[in-house]
Amino acid sequence: MRLLDANRLHNARLYPLLEKELAEIMSGRALWTMLLLVCPLVGYSFVQAVSLYSDASAAALQSPAAATSLSPLDGILLPTFGSFYVAVTLLFPFVAIRVLGQEKESGSLRLLVQLPYRSSTIIVMKLAAVLAAWVFVSIPALSALGVWLLLGGHLAPTETLNLVFGHVLYGLLVGSIALFATTISDNAATAAIIALAATIGSLVLDFTLAGRSGWSAWIAELSLTQTLRTFEQGLLSVGLVLGISTVICGLAALSTVWLRPGTAMRGKFTRSVLCVLMMIAALGIATQIGRSFDLSEDRRNSFPSADQQLLTTLRLPLVIIVNLVPEDPRYIDLKRNVLGKLERAVPNVSIEVAGSRQDFAGRSDDYGQIEYVYRNRSDVSRSTSPREILPLLYGLAGVQPPQAALGVDYPGYPLVTSADASLFWFFGGLPLLIAFAWWRSRHPRAVKLAAFEGGQS
Amino acid sequence: MTSAHFNFNEDKPFVEVLHANDLTKRYGDEVAIANVSFSVAAGEIIGIVGPNGAGKTTLLEVLAGQIALDSGNVVWRGQALPAPRRKEAIFYMPDGIRPYQDRFAGDVLRFVSGVYERSRTVVSNVITAVELAPVLRKRVSALSKGYNRRLLLAIGLLTPQDVLLMDEPFDGFDIRQSRNIIQVLRNSAAGGRTLVLAIHQLADAERVCDRFLLLAGGKVRGIGTLQELRTQTALPEGSLEDIFLALT
Repeated sequence: MRLLDANRLHNARLYPLLEKELAEIMSGRALWTMLLLVCPLVGYSFVQAVSLYSDASAAALQSPAAATSLSPLDGILLPTFGSFYVAVTLLFPFVAIRVLGQEKESGSLRLLVQLPYRSSTIIVMKLAAVLAAWVFVSIPALSALGVWLLLGGHLAPTETLNLVFGHVLYGLLVGSIALFATTISDNAATAAIIALAATIGSLVLDFTLAGRSGWSAWIAELSLTQTLRTFEQGLLSVGLVLGISTVICGLAALSTVWLRPGTAMRGKFTRSVLCVLMMIAALGIATQIGRSFDLSEDRRNSFPSADQQLLTTLRLPLVIIVNLVPEDPRYIDLKRNVLGKLERAVPNVSIEVAGSRQDFAGRSDDYGQIEYVYRNRSDVSRSTSPREILPLLYGLAGVQPPQAALGVDYPGYPLVTSADASLFWFFGGLPLLIAFAWWRSRHPRAVKLAAFEGGQS
Repeated sequence: MTSAHFNFNEDKPFVEVLHANDLTKRYGDEVAIANVSFSVAAGEIIGIVGPNGAGKTTLLEVLAGQIALDSGNVVWRGQALPAPRRKEAIFYMPDGIRPYQDRFAGDVLRFVSGVYERSRTVVSNVITAVELAPVLRKRVSALSKGYNRRLLLAIGLLTPQDVLLMDEPFDGFDIRQSRNIIQVLRNSAAGGRTLVLAIHQLADAERVCDRFLLLAGGKVRGIGTLQELRTQTALPEGSLEDIFLALT
């Protein structure tokens, strides 16, 4: 009699574990219920979005200039996935909690931790099940994209995939919060309260602190909802992806620490503190990575390519002092039209937002001015348009403005159509298919069980 | 540290595989088990016997490494076996669990046998031994208490660890069923597996166990074969119940 081989003990086949995790999450009511709820929610949002887009398109058909502002990303994808985001925020924690909560409450977890897998392997498999569950509940939203294409709508592959990727990360983030909440809770109800406090709390933070300055702005940045903003603008930010991945991995590591049996509370706390410190360090590194890719078809996050190329050659520090409060609409315009794009194009740029409303009391002349400093030379402007600011910058740098490139401008994709008929799909066909699949999943798989009953190897 | 200092069965030498050394576990001010020490031999069935609240479950859980010890250690064939490595030698089947209640009983067995790469023949033999075939296509949540207990037993028998700890393995069985299960457990022990069973029904314990560890108030009150305990208590014809009452 010997100990089980250590290699075998920690490296048992993953397939049975993964299959079990997937079957567990599929056999729960939470997943199917959420899926059924998501159908009408996403369907209604999609139909409304198509209706509004169609109205705007009807007007745009009279004016090609107006047509350029019609982007399916803003008009169709964001509203459709916006409703899906609400569903994920409010309902997905219940689905994710099941991957561990059910085992905790039934006592199965006490068997699971004795199986020949590391705790980290178990958590990774559970996260894989959470990811599979997200894919499953995204079926209505993904089918809306199919319906849009059937209606003759346009989808740009890169910006669409980028948005879907953002939602995948958000789903995993919510799932990992729920998983961690379950590991530290005695029951699923407590885990749900913790997970919803994080997700709904984020939603509330986002609403109440939007556009504020100072600490409020910093706290608002912590909102989970912020993770989607960049993807919704068609940007793929390396730092953001690494940051979200860090939090997901950190929460998974914390779950592993708290899942491990036979460890004293003090040991778990010590390891948790280490995990959190490592997570903070990794997040600090991620925030320093400014690299991002503009995947929007209309290149809304970039200047024209000739300007973009020229701006990358401005190697000296560019300092921009903005005498506007962050909640001022002019600052929001400036940030969207100029500052965000400059941050992506100029290698060394720093932006100083000069204080809050109180700081400008009695100094109304300065308010609204934006000062640009480059090579010990400075200039001031009140404009929020790149047409005025880029020449100003080129002047400071002493370079000739580039020739306007003869490229193809974003044409816009107006489409006058109606998606009302798709309501039959979202309110009838799809729910019926889901209900059938649910009913089918409730039956035992005869072939696999018969193999045991036969008793032959 | 392998020893052969006494026999629990005249046909088998006592070859110690597992030694619990001075195990103590407290929950706040309450001492669940205090300075519990004992040895377990290969192929024996040892019963941890005691009333409710005696510390039987806590003892099994600390042995299995599922809860942290305050002091003491567990030694496997002469080497300390820390909690994270206990599952290399020990599998613990807790009482009162319903594993994967939304799954079919057959699926649960398929999962466990898949993890340990058990052949269909082995699985089928276990199913036959514990008479689980009629409920393989039932959900675990729909199983009676007795069939749920059989399912737990089947899972335990499918695991390959040398030591199997079971908490109240006869709970939910009638006398006839208990006899069948006792035979199944004896066959498993005859194959070299060591069974540590926490039992509060003394009659069941007397029928199945080779040796007994009498536990009350978290402390060991006696340990040995029935004959040794009779000698210790000077009750030559005493039942396990008589001995337990005499020692506690």
